[in-house]
Amino acid sequence: MDEVLVVRELSAGYRGRAVVQGIDLALRRGGILGMLGANGSGKSTLLKAITGQIPLTSGSVVVDGIDLAAAPERAKAGFGLAIEPHELPPPLSGRQYIELVASIRGCAPDDLPRGDLLERLDLGRWIDRPIAEYSLGTRAKVAILAALLGKPPLLIFDETLNGLDPVAAWEVKRIITALCATGRHAAIVSTHVVEAVPALCSRAVLMAGGRLARRWDAAQLAEAGRAPGAFEESVMQALRRQAAA
Amino acid sequence: MRHDRLVLILLWRELVAGLRATRRRDLGWIALGGGGLLAYAIADVVLALHGAAAKLRHDQLLWVLGVPVALAVLGALVGNAMSGLSLQRAYAPFLKALPLSPDRRRRMAGEATLVLGAPLALLVGVSASFTCAVIEKPLAPAWGLGAAMLFATSYGATALWRLRRPQHLLDETGSEAAPSGGPLLHRFDRARPSWLSSWAWKLPGGHLRPSWRLAAACLVFATAAILCAWASLAGRTAGPAAVAGLIGGILVFMLSLRCQPLGSPVLRTAPIGFTRVWLRLVQLPLQLSLAFFLLPAGAALAAEPTAWSVPMASGLWLLVLNGAYAVFGAYFLNAPFVASLSFASALAYAAYETLEYGRTVLIGLAVLVFFLWHRTRQRYRNG
Repeated sequence: MDEVLVVRELSAGYRGRAVVQGIDLALRRGGILGMLGANGSGKSTLLKAITGQIPLTSGSVVVDGIDLAAAPERAKAGFGLAIEPHELPPPLSGRQYIELVASIRGCAPDDLPRGDLLERLDLGRWIDRPIAEYSLGTRAKVAILAALLGKPPLLIFDETLNGLDPVAAWEVKRIITALCATGRHAAIVSTHVVEAVPALCSRAVLMAGGRLARRWDAAQLAEAGRAPGAFEESVMQALRRQAAA
Repeated sequence: MRHDRLVLILLWRELVAGLRATRRRDLGWIALGGGGLLAYAIADVVLALHGAAAKLRHDQLLWVLGVPVALAVLGALVGNAMSGLSLQRAYAPFLKALPLSPDRRRRMAGEATLVLGAPLALLVGVSASFTCAVIEKPLAPAWGLGAAMLFATSYGATALWRLRRPQHLLDETGSEAAPSGGPLLHRFDRARPSWLSSWAWKLPGGHLRPSWRLAAACLVFATAAILCAWASLAGRTAGPAAVAGLIGGILVFMLSLRCQPLGSPVLRTAPIGFTRVWLRLVQLPLQLSLAFFLLPAGAALAAEPTAWSVPMASGLWLLVLNGAYAVFGAYFLNAPFVASLSFASALAYAAYETLEYGRTVLIGLAVLVFFLWHRTRQRYRNG
């Protein structure tokens, strides 16, 4: 099965009010989907719906062939989500958090894409301290590490890469690219760093007003990535069109 | 100055936000169901007071000692809670950067505590006056005024004592990042999912922090268990130790159960179901509760070996009550005090009504527990 995520006619929101509507999305193994959009456009809500944190008002989410509504635990085994840094358990140390996630996923705490990831992310001196003492960037690194545990088929990063220092961001992007290049994994990267998308992603979507306002396929992204600023210009045009409509 | 009432404004905004976040259907249920239940309870209490009016009127011990002590304890508890609530707002992390001196923060918290206490004292006074009128005790308004004054004095004294030492709020946040001692729970907290109890108990890095409060609680529980065991052995009767085992066991469970990880996306987005996490959170508190139960239960058995069914029944009830409280604890996952209060109220009310309507009320309690468990499970799955 090639498709690791299939979202059909998804609507979801809070307290019965739909924030995202009519979302159709499919992601194949090997693909990296960049998710763009202004604050409040519905990116995080969509990712919360895909990861089973809020109920769907309509539509369906299928992760690695398993319907999220029908078998939530099995479907959740199919993705690794980098939790928002402020939602990590503050009393636990980084190592304990990794052990917690590993025990849930049924894998070893060192079952990571690279054996030296802790050192590469410069986490060694922090890993045995309580998360409460971490900076935002260090928390983001731990959250990313936990998402990569067990190498799940779908990796989801909701603006987590934004808080990383340049070296860590470069390492994480390299790992995502390498994992997806194997053809066994796919990734969704929600970000505000528009210029990073053509270099990292194979596809991109722009969210506006709770809907998918624009899509870019691999060829369009490659084309936009050739000229400096071309992709940003393309995103801004789409946003202006959306605002005018 | 505009920020004089900042704490009150914050509390008011939180209340409004809480009401807005609650669905209208739930609000309707709370208003109609809760209102109806309250009206029924008041009517029931009035009837009970009427029935026992003559006895209550002439009970000297009750009026000289019982009522004043109860009002003083109530005032102290409420004063402690309200001043704590106000201090937490005055020292909220998002206010740290504002140019507010500690004195100013204390004053803001004090004003809020005072404003919150006034209607509470009035409520206590009116209730006492109304009770006296129902049982036809002379000078009902004077009794009401006295009750309100006693409550207010105790409330004010406790609040003042707490407001004078707000530094504990800063100490608590500081000590969260300062682990000491060994990872005591290391062996007990490795079951899948690992480290869940350390997270639930907020132990930094799994390290237990020794504190006077913890030491005092251990001392009180140990003394109570030894005294009751001694009473049973001396009297050669299983009763006192079995009851102490039951009450102490459920108290240990209530004090040690913490369920806030159930609301975290860490678990809700992980491939693990609600029941498994819930059972794991219950595991260590249950072990502590049963460990406490063993000494009094053993003493009960030794005191009266032929009455082995008494500690056995006590143990079974302990399991049932622990199970029921585990549901309340999970439902009110961020408010263990509210969970304890709700559980104690539901239990007391069910016990009281059982005297009148028999075991049907217990079925109602079981239905309530099952309903709460179902809602908590739904919330874990769907937010």
